[in-house]
Amino acid sequence: MIRNVVIDVLLGLATATVAAAALGVAVMPDAYARLHYVTPAAIVAPVFVTLAIFVKEGLDVNTGETIVALFFMIVAAPFLSHATIRAMRVRDHGDWRQPRTREQRAKEPR
Amino acid sequence: MTAFVVAAIAMLIVMVPAGLTIVRGTEADAVVGYQFITAVAVMILALLAEGFKRPSLFELPVLLAVLMYGSGLVYVRALERWL
Repeated sequence: MIRNVVIDVLLGLATATVAAAALGVAVMPDAYARLHYVTPAAIVAPVFVTLAIFVKEGLDVNTGETIVALFFMIVAAPFLSHATIRAMRVRDHGDWRQPRTREQRAKEPR
Repeated sequence: MTAFVVAAIAMLIVMVPAGLTIVRGTEADAVVGYQFITAVAVMILALLAEGFKRPSLFELPVLLAVLMYGSGLVYVRALERWL
């Protein structure tokens, strides 16, 4: 009984996290802002889903495979976000680095 | 219908706004929407495998989680150079 309640709460949290992230992806004005809302769906919600499966099944093969998937998502998501932002900056500005200010250029040796 | 299947259906519905972003946004918006949908699809596959009691189907979310990284980088590289 209590186990079912815990599972329902965890799944509800996962769904709410994904729903809020989807709203952010849909509403934000540009891709830079939208990308921030991928992270909760890629890292936070899978943790809740994995915990729900763990509570239901215990430590067995199904839980293990879900943990492996969770591991890959947690490792991949930051790299993917960084690469995406970098690609968007290259696409928009020609270079991913911040352009130098006039003061920085004045301090450089000639 | 178990709570896992209900959660999977709810997440499928929640994919719609990201799909609209892919259809209506710029190329960069579409890549972001694609990453969002892929991340949610991993969870949906795990939820459905648990909801329908099919242990063999738990390999699909693992595969998709691995492929999400590779395919995401491919799209990002294409966005940077060619699109």
